[in-house]
Amino acid sequence: MTSFQSTLGDEPGIAEELAESQQSISIAEFFEKNKHMLGFDSGARGLVTAVKEAVDNALDAAEESGILPDIYVEIQEAGDYYRLIVEDNGPGLTKETLPKVFGKLLYGSRFHAREQSRGQQGIGISAAVLYSQLTSGKPAKITSRTQGSEEAEYFELIVDTDSNEPEISVEETTTWDRPHGTRIELEMEANMRARQQLHDYIKHTAVVNPHARLELREPQEHFKFERATDQLPEETEEIRPHPHGVELGTVMKMLTATDSQTVSGFVQEEFTRVGKKTADSIIDAFRDRHYGREMRWRPPASHESIDLHAAVEDATANKGPDATTAFADAIAEAVADSDRIAHFELREAVESAAEAVEDDHGTTFGDTVRENAVEAVWLELIDVTEADDDAAAETADEDEPATDADSRLVADLYDLADDATSTRKDDEVIHAFADRLAGKFEDPEDVRHRFTHETLREYVDRAADLTEEYDDVSFGETARENVTEAIWDIMATVPDDPPLVRELDGDRDATSNLVDAMRATDIMAPPTRCLAPISEELITAGLEKEFDADFYASATRDAGVSGGDPFIVEAGIAYGGDLPAEGTGEVMRFANRVPLVYQRGACATTDVVKSIGWRNYGLDQPGGSGLPNGPVVIMVHVASTNVPFTSESKDAVANVPEIEDEIELAIREAARDLKSYLNKRRSMQQRRKKQNVLGKILPEMAEKVAEVTGRDEPDIDDAIARIMNNVLVERDVEENGDGQAVSVVVENNSGTNESLEITDIVSAEPTNLSDGANVVEMDGEWFVKWEPEVSSDDEAALEYEVPDDATFDLDVKGVESEKLTVKQ
Amino acid sequence: MSADENQQAREQLIDLAAQFYDQFELGEIPHMSVPTRTKNNIEYDEEMDVWVYGDRESTRSANSVRGARKLLKAIYTIEFLSEQLEEDRSSTLRELYYLSESWDNDEAQFNDQDESNSMVEDLEIVSGVTREDFHMRPEESGATIMGPLYLREQTRRGERKIHCQEDVGEGGYQIPNNPDTIDFLDCDADFILAVETGGMRDRLVENGFDEEYNALIVHLKGQPARATRRITKRLHDELDLPVTVFTDGDPWSYRIYGSVAYGSIKSAHLSEYLATPEADFIGIQPADIVEYELPTDPLADSDINALESELEDPRFQTDYWEEQIELQLDLGKKSEQQSLASHGLDFVTDTYLPERLSEMGVL
Repeated sequence: MTSFQSTLGDEPGIAEELAESQQSISIAEFFEKNKHMLGFDSGARGLVTAVKEAVDNALDAAEESGILPDIYVEIQEAGDYYRLIVEDNGPGLTKETLPKVFGKLLYGSRFHAREQSRGQQGIGISAAVLYSQLTSGKPAKITSRTQGSEEAEYFELIVDTDSNEPEISVEETTTWDRPHGTRIELEMEANMRARQQLHDYIKHTAVVNPHARLELREPQEHFKFERATDQLPEETEEIRPHPHGVELGTVMKMLTATDSQTVSGFVQEEFTRVGKKTADSIIDAFRDRHYGREMRWRPPASHESIDLHAAVEDATANKGPDATTAFADAIAEAVADSDRIAHFELREAVESAAEAVEDDHGTTFGDTVRENAVEAVWLELIDVTEADDDAAAETADEDEPATDADSRLVADLYDLADDATSTRKDDEVIHAFADRLAGKFEDPEDVRHRFTHETLREYVDRAADLTEEYDDVSFGETARENVTEAIWDIMATVPDDPPLVRELDGDRDATSNLVDAMRATDIMAPPTRCLAPISEELITAGLEKEFDADFYASATRDAGVSGGDPFIVEAGIAYGGDLPAEGTGEVMRFANRVPLVYQRGACATTDVVKSIGWRNYGLDQPGGSGLPNGPVVIMVHVASTNVPFTSESKDAVANVPEIEDEIELAIREAARDLKSYLNKRRSMQQRRKKQNVLGKILPEMAEKVAEVTGRDEPDIDDAIARIMNNVLVERDVEENGDGQAVSVVVENNSGTNESLEITDIVSAEPTNLSDGANVVEMDGEWFVKWEPEVSSDDEAALEYEVPDDATFDLDVKGVESEKLTVKQ
Repeated sequence: MSADENQQAREQLIDLAAQFYDQFELGEIPHMSVPTRTKNNIEYDEEMDVWVYGDRESTRSANSVRGARKLLKAIYTIEFLSEQLEEDRSSTLRELYYLSESWDNDEAQFNDQDESNSMVEDLEIVSGVTREDFHMRPEESGATIMGPLYLREQTRRGERKIHCQEDVGEGGYQIPNNPDTIDFLDCDADFILAVETGGMRDRLVENGFDEEYNALIVHLKGQPARATRRITKRLHDELDLPVTVFTDGDPWSYRIYGSVAYGSIKSAHLSEYLATPEADFIGIQPADIVEYELPTDPLADSDINALESELEDPRFQTDYWEEQIELQLDLGKKSEQQSLASHGLDFVTDTYLPERLSEMGVL
């Protein structure tokens, strides 16, 4: 050790020598060496990532300018390389910005905006260009035409990795058949091993962007995804940060930067969803943390030998007997009138008493007099005039428990503690505890009894610890907490002015109190106009478009906040139909409408899907955890102004608790619909099965019964309808003079009310129609329409008369066929 | 068995079918209610002095697939029984089970014999016709009588007059399935001794106990068949013979006594017709185990459970039985009839039975 040190001492130039090799690294150079961070770790993946980046940009650009996106992706084999072409119908890029967008990393319009968009950092597409130039050595070829311009701009460029600036090799104008849009052509070393992911990406993009038209042409295949809606996602707006999601460092930075003078102005100006009222709540919460609250004690009761009147009179000198008495009266009355009173409240009472008396008697009550009165009354209230038994209470002398001279504080705290703790606690114990706690109150230098929640808790803990130690009883966490809360609740927030912004600036502790106060205050969720959720309707539409299933459900949650950024989670479920019944269900993950196709296992979405007990929702889940089995597709969309990804390649959503909770709730919401669908389907299946079996057994039984009794076969429809809890619709026709009287009776044997739509098609004109039905004639046929509501176990009848030779045909709707028995 | 009786039984069955028919016609769900056949649903009928079913009923209804199948089977069984009666034939319970295999309807076939047995019991209860009158008989009865009794049996092959000591071999007179075909002509017996096991019955016959004491030895063959119980009751009622029951000293044997005296749970609807409430229990009593120092086996767990369940069985809720069962639970032991042989082969006929029967006032 020592020898080494001496060596160091011998060569004083080593630090300088080392320093010479230190140099800054260009961001482009960094990513060149860390391609995997951007999703370009292999040829297979590089192609998918490049497509993804280009398509995301294209969608963002088109939507931003209110254009329905129309995107064309082509992959060509070009010798040893693959050529990727992505064309969009976006607004195009100007000659000035174009090279930077494609040729400079970390160049973009999104990074500083609190607004939902696909791209954020401005890395993606330039990284694709970088990857292309690194693997094929060829520049990116970009064509762009802005709306209204005669010609398109054409560039060939690469990223200069040393300077992170575009290096343009060709710059010219050209003609292009698209009126506006951008086209990028990249050649890269790649392979098509990740075709599945590529297809997933395009297909999933189509699901969550039902307003976009996508086309993918591969050397062998060609896919087209048409629009399901012409409705563009709502335009998003930038918002200010939300108070619940900012960190201390951010707030400190904001305090330095703000123009506001007061804290109230600061929170209203710099944050979203903070108005005057919310600002006041925040400031109250801040005061509690910064200044603490003041304890409010009970005013003396009549049986207590405390004469506030006398105390005030004693403390007031030279003001004349009348004025003094009036002053003392007013104060004593004000104190007696209040439930409890804190030091500052007492001061206010004294101030107003002084002013009133000044007005009435013309005597001046100066500050000193007021001060004296406050002190005199306060000392009475907190019983300091009593013997100094605080020390005695502290040490809890073994032989003489302090029972004789309980201070007012002990009695007051005893009541509070007694209410707050369980009834099982012994009176003596509570008393001893209250005694010790009162001791803590009497201790502090601040006679106003002002302290923070934290200090209060310390006092309670100390008193409880002592009680445990000396009285050999347990005084648990819950009891301590309850007592603390009970006392804290009656303590009063002080009216002191909060510090000004410039006083807060640089004061870490005070700022931390402010951040805590903002978090503790109830504040409306951030506005969602910065977010563009897909909406339940369009999720279903997107799923319907791409999956041929039996059932679709979707849910869009209300916005939540994480890290100051609002987010919305949406979920969709498709079930049954042509979805593969074997194997595990499919999970589709999206962030800001971008499909996530890699790192499924690392994603919060997958974790949440796996953690849900799918058996509760009627799906098969081996072992009760993990992905559900069966013909199901679960999609989750996280939309946020700043989606927390696990890495720059944006493959997986990080495990942020707030977001995970919302993902779970969204999935569960959609899953509940799935469950009721599956339950219904199951009960219909059972009903069908029962119907099938009984439909076989009962006629056989009827036949046998007829055989044994030697009678005709009995009519069993009524019995079957009743057994199946079915709705029975039965026609009865009776001769009636020249014609026939028809009655159609609905008998509801089910447990629920049923609304039916019954159409009876009659070949002759019906007359004497009963109420609630109407007739329409069409081509010599009469359609008797009747829509009865029949409650459980009830009947309804349609009656009419027709000529003799009429024929009928009954059509019943509104009841599942499994539940319906029709007898013509 | 007269054609009239057959006709009457048949009509009652067909009435049952007609009941289902009417239910169908009225749009009702076909159903059939039968008393629940469990220990909890038997109660004492003070008038008859026997145990009968209480008010609890189970309903077989076509409301469920299970119930519908049951009713379908019932109809098929009714049809079969009524045809059997019409043709004056008879069959065993087991035959009914196999015969169902030949029915054209899979759903109507019985899954096991318990199902067909209980179906016949259901029909018996609901129609009020006994199994014997349906011409259904159990597999084997094989129970026998030995003693000074002269009777006439109406067989399918004509009348037979039999003396149950003189006209029979050592095996005794075989009780027919329907003992109501018997007329008693003459009887010199003083009492009936119903014996559980074949070994003990043979011992008594070999030792000439029936001759010496004018006893009618009825072999119960374990849990007695209905025919055995029926003939015992008739002998008691018609010839005024006291009935005594001699079994092993374990809980299962007490149930044998219980079914002779009070009726069995499964046939409580026929108690009036089968049970002989005046029957007395000879032993082996738990008290005998102590008194005669009999060789014993320890009570198994199942024995203890059975004893405890007997304490709750309404048929055994008498002071005598409670005392005996509690004693046995205390002893923790049981003994067989034949353990009396530990005092010599003649001990049972020379000492044990005379002593017990005198105690009971039969001798």
